[in-house]
Amino acid sequence: MSVRRPSRRHAVLLAGIATTALLLAACSSGSDAASDGSSSSASQAADTPVDGGDLTFAIGNDPISLNPSGIGSGNDTLYVTRQIVDSLLWQDPADGSLKPWLATTWEANADATEFTFTLRDGVTFSDGTPFTADSVKKTFDDAVAAGAKSSAAPNFTGYVGTTAVGPLTVKVAFKAPNAAFPQATSAVALGIVADSTLAIPFDDRASGTGVVGTGPFTLDHYTKDTETVLKARPEYAWGPDGRTNTGNAHLDSVTFQVIPEAGVRTGALTSDQVNVIGGVQPTDIATLKDSGFDLVSRANPGITFGLTFNEAGALGSDPAVREAIALTVNPTEVRDTALNDGFAVAEGPLASTTPGVADVSKDIVTDPKKAASVLEKAGWAKGSDGIYAKDGKPLAPVLVWITNFSPNQTSVELIQQELKANGIDAQLWSGTVPDFQAKLKDGSFDLVWGNLSRADGDVLRTQYSTAATNFYKIADPDLETLLQKQLTIGDATERNAVLADAQERLVTQHHVVPVHELTTFLGLNSDVHDVQLGADSRLDQLTQAWIGS
Amino acid sequence: MTDLLDDPTVDDFATTSKDRLADALRDRQDAQARGRFAWLRDLLRTPGLLIAAAWIAVVLLAAFAPSLLAPGDPLVGVPADKLQGPSSAHWFGTDQLGRDLYTRVVHGTHLTLEAALVAVGVGLLVGAVVGLLAGFVGGVFDDVVMRIVDVLLSIPALLLSLALITALGFGTVKVAVAVGLASVATVSRIMRSEVLRVRSSVYVEAAHAGGSRWWSVLFQHVLPNASGPVVVLAALQLGTAILAVSALSFLGFGAPPPAPEWGALVSGGRDYLRTSWWLTTLPGLTIALTVLAAGRISRAIDRQEGNVL
Repeated sequence: MSVRRPSRRHAVLLAGIATTALLLAACSSGSDAASDGSSSSASQAADTPVDGGDLTFAIGNDPISLNPSGIGSGNDTLYVTRQIVDSLLWQDPADGSLKPWLATTWEANADATEFTFTLRDGVTFSDGTPFTADSVKKTFDDAVAAGAKSSAAPNFTGYVGTTAVGPLTVKVAFKAPNAAFPQATSAVALGIVADSTLAIPFDDRASGTGVVGTGPFTLDHYTKDTETVLKARPEYAWGPDGRTNTGNAHLDSVTFQVIPEAGVRTGALTSDQVNVIGGVQPTDIATLKDSGFDLVSRANPGITFGLTFNEAGALGSDPAVREAIALTVNPTEVRDTALNDGFAVAEGPLASTTPGVADVSKDIVTDPKKAASVLEKAGWAKGSDGIYAKDGKPLAPVLVWITNFSPNQTSVELIQQELKANGIDAQLWSGTVPDFQAKLKDGSFDLVWGNLSRADGDVLRTQYSTAATNFYKIADPDLETLLQKQLTIGDATERNAVLADAQERLVTQHHVVPVHELTTFLGLNSDVHDVQLGADSRLDQLTQAWIGS
Repeated sequence: MTDLLDDPTVDDFATTSKDRLADALRDRQDAQARGRFAWLRDLLRTPGLLIAAAWIAVVLLAAFAPSLLAPGDPLVGVPADKLQGPSSAHWFGTDQLGRDLYTRVVHGTHLTLEAALVAVGVGLLVGAVVGLLAGFVGGVFDDVVMRIVDVLLSIPALLLSLALITALGFGTVKVAVAVGLASVATVSRIMRSEVLRVRSSVYVEAAHAGGSRWWSVLFQHVLPNASGPVVVLAALQLGTAILAVSALSFLGFGAPPPAPEWGALVSGGRDYLRTSWWLTTLPGLTIALTVLAAGRISRAIDRQEGNVL
């Protein structure tokens, strides 16, 4: 207590000083307005960005690692690190297209194995050092050297090397085609950091100390499980053209506060303790809307929520079982029960915001009667308990899932109920993330419920190709050919046509049962304006955000 | 000292004459009759205890014959009727899948109570054996065992359960075993102190002197006379065990969904706290009432035991 008392006295003193300063500021601005004789400032305030202010942003998880290419706690980490680093390219959330950022132009060779980027001149890191081709080379080499520790490493499969062709020209070469690479450069994980950062051992960068980027904010301090405070960089002037503000941020600082419980986050917003909250629960959306709060939302690109089979298992390898389950699950009912209109029913394996998406909803049919006939044709017969069985074995697939999205439990319980009503006795299994991943690896499951966010159609290959993680062991050579082929095509239109074929095949062969899209919601106090989600549906840089009065 | 000589379990006490034995027996029967009568009178005079007993009776009925109280299926809902408030059709309202919450609470009683009983059983059995041996054998064995118990007592019970469940894996029975093992230290402590008290009493010394074997002394004289407070503790532990089991199932260590364990029901309603209060409040109240009722009953038994001893 004796330690706390003086600090409280200091706080009072500080508050006193601050109040006096504010009063003085108010007086002086008042006199300015009077001398100008203008009275239009009040009406302008509604749509003209106001400079200054601290934005408090509540996130659910501690960032864990402030190293942009480190492995943190997912979205919440990226919300913070995105503010510190810029990327070579910017993916426009409006249409998913790639736009210049730290690279002004870029081109790929014919077989998509070499990519040349021309870099922007005059960009500096927050420690004052210039951004050059060498910075890009060192950042990429570092990510490859860090291997599994780096979340950027999976984008560098078959990496040959990066060459600084000139001071502002850099060439990245791969052994095999990697048409998805330009999109990958727009991710936070491939954000460019200064030489001084790379000199720090990879693991030690997690604290954020010494992590230097070219971004519009710099780290002020990070207190684990409490808050991360970022300060704006006044000299920032190289935001991508797609943003309304390409210069330095309107805000003075941003505080990311950790509030783990979703209900408490909503409460913190409604009671004015924070300006913005992330991870708004689907159940709180209507409440927030009704109480006059703004919601910023965007469907997450990547693989939609749905079921995927383990095709190495006895049930998953049976096309009749796969088809019956696909015909029994009712995506609209799941969406209406577990979620609401803010989430779209899946139109295919990829979400509508993913570049290269194809609408294959005509192949996603719910028809339990047909499911019954498909099973009976394949030799399954209903037992006395109403559950199908074949050769004495009941049709009881193990469905594994985790609570990475809170409505998941409602979704899988409803799917279990739908399947059970049609003679399929799904067994639910859930556990910790490591246990879940172990189960995927050792293949002790029949069905898995989940999604995967990524703003490029190549996510289909990383997820379903037998040459990638291969959790699902999909033995479909035609699909495999399509998944590998799309990676070799540099032309977007041609590549999308191949991706569309792959999506159709995934659904018509019932390798996946798409159910619903994931939508990210941010809740905003009505004073806060122009907070935007990027093409990956994660928080974009907060340069254009501002707080009105 | 005559009190201590009057070991109720001794029926071959050589120094007592037949007449005195008969008198003693008659006195004891009178005392027991008065005790039973007083207990009943107490029950009627204390409505709190009466309500507690009635509640536990309902809970037991729900655990062993849930369909009598709630004939519906706890696992099947009508999605169209989701998140309805309490009404005459759905006493506790419906959950996010349109399942009747009352039916789920009633059917969840079996899982929760079974786990709590297993937990108490494990704690009682292991704790009693450890305490009995430590107290009766004494010496270095007692010292070693009790220092281990001291260490266990210094770890909060729920934390210990969490550590155990992480090692054991998920599931109702595993949760029960983890909660039970976490209470071993408390039970063994009380058992040991009772054994020490009884061991030094004259009738035990007399039994030793009379040539009884050590196991016969242990099981015929020491155990029956030392177990009273432990039985009271067991009743009290039942309430604590329900709370601990529910806490672990709230954290997701219990039976996998859609099994309606009480803790899991509270946890499942958490996301709907702002819109549907009944999903957390009503199962939560059920847990609270059951724990309080078990505590009230154990206090009554405690008093009764105190009178007898």
